Amino acid sequence: MHEVTTNRPGGEDSAHSTAVPKEAAESQAAQSLPADRTRPEQALVVLDLTKTFRSGFLRRPDRGVEGVSFSVNKGEVFALIGHNGAGKTTTINCILDLIRPDRGEVTILGQDNHEPESRREIGYLPERPNFFEHLSGRELLNFYGQLLDLPRQERSRRVAAVLQQLGLAGVAERKLRKYSKGMLQRIGLAQALLGDPSILILDEPMSGLDPLGRRQVREMLLELKGKGKTIILSSHIVHDVEMLADSVGILKHGRLIRTQQLAEFHQSCSYEVRLGAGSEQGQDQPEGARQVIVDDVDQLRDLLASCHQRNTPVLAVETRRTGLEELYLQVHNEAGGSP
Amino acid sequence: MTSHVGALAINTFRETVRDRIFYLVAVFGFVMLVSTAVLSPLTVGAQGKIMSDVGLAAMVVFGLLVVVFVGSNMVHKEIDKGSIVTILAKPIGRREYLLGKFMGLSLTLLAMLFIMGLLFLVMLFLAPGTFSLRFLGAIYLCFWELILINAVVVFFSTCVSSILAAVFTLGVFAMGHLSQSIRDLGQFQGGPLQQKVSEVVYYLIPNLEVFNVRGDVVHGETVAGELILWATVYGAAWTILLLLLAGAIFDRKELR
Repeated sequence: MHEVTTNRPGGEDSAHSTAVPKEAAESQAAQSLPADRTRPEQALVVLDLTKTFRSGFLRRPDRGVEGVSFSVNKGEVFALIGHNGAGKTTTINCILDLIRPDRGEVTILGQDNHEPESRREIGYLPERPNFFEHLSGRELLNFYGQLLDLPRQERSRRVAAVLQQLGLAGVAERKLRKYSKGMLQRIGLAQALLGDPSILILDEPMSGLDPLGRRQVREMLLELKGKGKTIILSSHIVHDVEMLADSVGILKHGRLIRTQQLAEFHQSCSYEVRLGAGSEQGQDQPEGARQVIVDDVDQLRDLLASCHQRNTPVLAVETRRTGLEELYLQVHNEAGGSP
Repeated sequence: MTSHVGALAINTFRETVRDRIFYLVAVFGFVMLVSTAVLSPLTVGAQGKIMSDVGLAAMVVFGLLVVVFVGSNMVHKEIDKGSIVTILAKPIGRREYLLGKFMGLSLTLLAMLFIMGLLFLVMLFLAPGTFSLRFLGAIYLCFWELILINAVVVFFSTCVSSILAAVFTLGVFAMGHLSQSIRDLGQFQGGPLQQKVSEVVYYLIPNLEVFNVRGDVVHGETVAGELILWATVYGAAWTILLLLLAGAIFDRKELR
């Protein structure tokens, strides 16, 4: 039970509590290893991924990720969240075999990620997409279409379709050096979607977009989710993640400190009870009101019974659902140390 | 695999074209005109030799400039800018990528040599008594020399920075033209240690004098078919070896 005192009678400007329901917090153990890495329903399995970078003349170690394990089922949206340098991009780069881990395995649709063919069903958007400036948007997509072995006619059709989908049809013949940051982000998404992949790996997909662009991308991702695509994304914007993801993995200092199914998490809630003056503590502060936050129904029942017994007026009872941001901060604080 | 390499090669070629690399061909034309207009009158009776000597040397120099300055930065630029990650996130092997880049620059060299060679032959044709088809043999070997240097720069660009790759490649070019002389010097005038060192240098660095028939051709000699065949095999063998080594190194490279 958490108690918060407001200064204004009536307590409309209620202070926030960061209470997280205990049962939700413990619902999934962090770093639980997938039992079987070749189950048919799994799109991606990451097992014990560990990477230490060496930099400088003395080859000083710089931890990238350590013992990261998780799996993503087909059709699931999984988000990696964490501060800058937490290991999100390193994890994604290891999945794509751009970085070779010191230890660990990655399996994509049952195939070892060292095989180039394992990436055929992947569409990838990097954090800071940068492309060949000498090409126009259409030429770039045509080039990527060739790398995906799309036949000429199919390629032209797909290129036109994704340009339309991303709102780039009007600038398709413009050279990429004249594209704005937002347009580059869109062309990045366009090349990721070009081969109609079943898995999308998006590193900060909303980065560089204006609010309208962010909304469009979010809606597009929800549409893709509706079509059964598997989406793995990393983001700083917890609000977007909460709207899109089925599950999240929280990274800190290269370690996956929590994986969490969001549906399960959203089912749990806490209660905020606003009590009027006249309660046992309220007598000392007659002008004040109190907010009490309880974590489950049993505690709420006890509190209400106690109020009834002591003749304390109950002004309101509100259900509080803990947001992902609160979970993120709480898990982060529990893990200790600096960001 | 072939289609991937082809797509990457054409993209690299297109990039060099749009980066106005072919302006160098215009400079070549200018050099040829200057050599004709300024040097030839100073060398009475040897105008043809001067023109062809300057022309063939200029082809190698301009080709070398393109290989060193484009080739040394070709892979690094894509790593630094991040465009490589979207390519390698597709079903493309790293060796395919590297081969595509190499082929793209080779295509640029081929196009450059074709245009410069054509300009060269036209100018020789216009100077009375100078034109001969034997120059084609020299241009062909010049192409192989540049292809080998292209493989050298691709090899260095997988393991050192772009600046070092350029410096090392220029070093290999210089040593490659001297390695035969160094070996001969070591054999005839050095002690056992010098002999060993000169031998090692000779086998570690491709002997680029194999491709240098420019002096002979300028002085009216024809390039023997066996020499052309031997130089082609020698150039191809070194190129394949260097690309295999580059592929093995690039396969382990961190791309972040």
